[in-house]
Amino acid sequence: MAVNRNVVDRALAVLRALPRVSLYNIRDHDHRKKKSARGQHGGGTHGHGKKFRQNYLPLGFESGNTPFHLRFGMEKYYKRYRLEREYPPVSLLMLQKMIDTNRLDTTQPIDLSSICNTGVYSMNINFNHHGVNLTDEEGFDQFCAKINIEVQWASEGAIAAIERNGGVITTSYYDPLCLHAVTDPARFFLRGDPIPKRMIPPEDAIEYYSSADNRGYLADPEKVSLARLALAQKYGYELPKIEDDPDYTMLTMRKDPRQIFYGLEPGWVVSLKDKAILKPKDKELLEYYRT
Amino acid sequence: MLQNISKLFRNCGHRFLLPKFPMSTLESIESNPLDSELVPPSSSLAKSQNFKRKLEFMPPNMEPKQAWLENLNTTDEEKISILELHPQVFGSMPRIDVIHKNVRWQTLYGRMDLRQAASRAELPGGGRKPWPQKGLGRARHGSNRSPLFYNGGKAHGPRAPKSYFYMLPYDLRVLGLTTTLSVKLAQDDLHIVESLDIPTDDQQYIEELVQARMWGPSVLFVDEQDVMPENITKATENTRHFNLMPAYGLNVFSMLKHDTLVLTLAALNRIEHQLLLNIHRNKNGKHQFRYMPSHH
Repeated sequence: MAVNRNVVDRALAVLRALPRVSLYNIRDHDHRKKKSARGQHGGGTHGHGKKFRQNYLPLGFESGNTPFHLRFGMEKYYKRYRLEREYPPVSLLMLQKMIDTNRLDTTQPIDLSSICNTGVYSMNINFNHHGVNLTDEEGFDQFCAKINIEVQWASEGAIAAIERNGGVITTSYYDPLCLHAVTDPARFFLRGDPIPKRMIPPEDAIEYYSSADNRGYLADPEKVSLARLALAQKYGYELPKIEDDPDYTMLTMRKDPRQIFYGLEPGWVVSLKDKAILKPKDKELLEYYRT
Repeated sequence: MLQNISKLFRNCGHRFLLPKFPMSTLESIESNPLDSELVPPSSSLAKSQNFKRKLEFMPPNMEPKQAWLENLNTTDEEKISILELHPQVFGSMPRIDVIHKNVRWQTLYGRMDLRQAASRAELPGGGRKPWPQKGLGRARHGSNRSPLFYNGGKAHGPRAPKSYFYMLPYDLRVLGLTTTLSVKLAQDDLHIVESLDIPTDDQQYIEELVQARMWGPSVLFVDEQDVMPENITKATENTRHFNLMPAYGLNVFSMLKHDTLVLTLAALNRIEHQLLLNIHRNKNGKHQFRYMPSHH
């Protein structure tokens, strides 16, 4: 709560002339609830009427004939919509604001964990939210940061805005089990569970994430660089050379398709209390986590 | 807001009947107590370089609060240096309502009401119809332990156990601490000392010290850790109005109950650091379930 400093200083100055604040001269605001008026001596029937008791009929009941809401059949327009994956949006303007207010560190790759940790973005896995949808509705002209960002869905304009500034954008998929780890890493590490391996996207998403136009993480890197050129020509900007960039190593950092956290492999157990990482030695486990 | 403060002090007593504050009077009240005390260059201000505090989370336009660093090893106070205090901890809005909420919470959350009034079922007897339904000309009754009867059960009496436990929101508790510290500093009831080391373990020494410096009858000494120097522990052992407290025990009720609050430099650093961290922490919304019992 931002109170004007002058007001605060004046209030503290007033206190200097007042008696010492103690347990016996403090008071809260008046939070009293208004009691409903009930009538003299309690109101007799206490507000329930004289002759008719609690005979509540079903809502919509029309005294016998088929009610209106049952006369007609239901057309379930949105029956399977709850199964659809949702990607709560982050506009380019919002992303720029996060960077400008130091909530995001542009010297490190940005992924879903970083965006969730800003505290400004919220998503709920229970509502079938699968990650960030980077939109170009707002902030396409204002965006001016060079970043290595990994989102779950990106519009063409958003990809263009990022690449125009010399950045790198990748779209990748996290399955719901991994999302619990990614969206709240601190809470996940407190559990002490091994880092899960990412599963491949479901059938209707594989095409999206294998496409170079969407900068999918399963796409062919050569096709991706061709797509970058094509997009630059389409939007009319000169594609900056990443190879000549001093941040080349940071910009080209990418996660393995099975990896969730940068620098940590699936199967490892992070112990916050012992401040150590435990790695599996068993052959079966290694085979499971590395394939 | 100023009117609110004056309303809260309405019933304080005849000595402190509150005059209305015209703007000109307010402007003449110095907000910073040290503005008028010009520190002579010959004083121990040269030593102040050792006590220069680095304030975290300080926007460029914010002015720090100031307080003297005093000593405890002589009866009369020696001002060692001026310390800068963070305005968000020691100069925040004096929220009397938040202080009241904190005090109410502290006094109530441990309260357990074990009173129980016997209901009609819990009293002995009461199973037989006291007199026939009809014929006697008396009112009809089914049990002589019904609430209508003398010595009958209580219909809606206290039913043990009743808990008054509730958790005041975390941010309100943080605000309570910062507001109380600000009030203490503003009312000249906050003193900062180097450490709690005193030359003797004599109770008389502390009493004379408090009297000479005109500190309130009750003093709360706060140090960083819970193991205190031997001398002050012995000196304050038999007094109930001089109390020692570690920094983690700092609470609004104790600060209000004791007239004067004395912090050591180490305690000040710890308290300021912790409060600033919690004021500026990332409010994700995931902290809202922190105090549900199942999470412990």
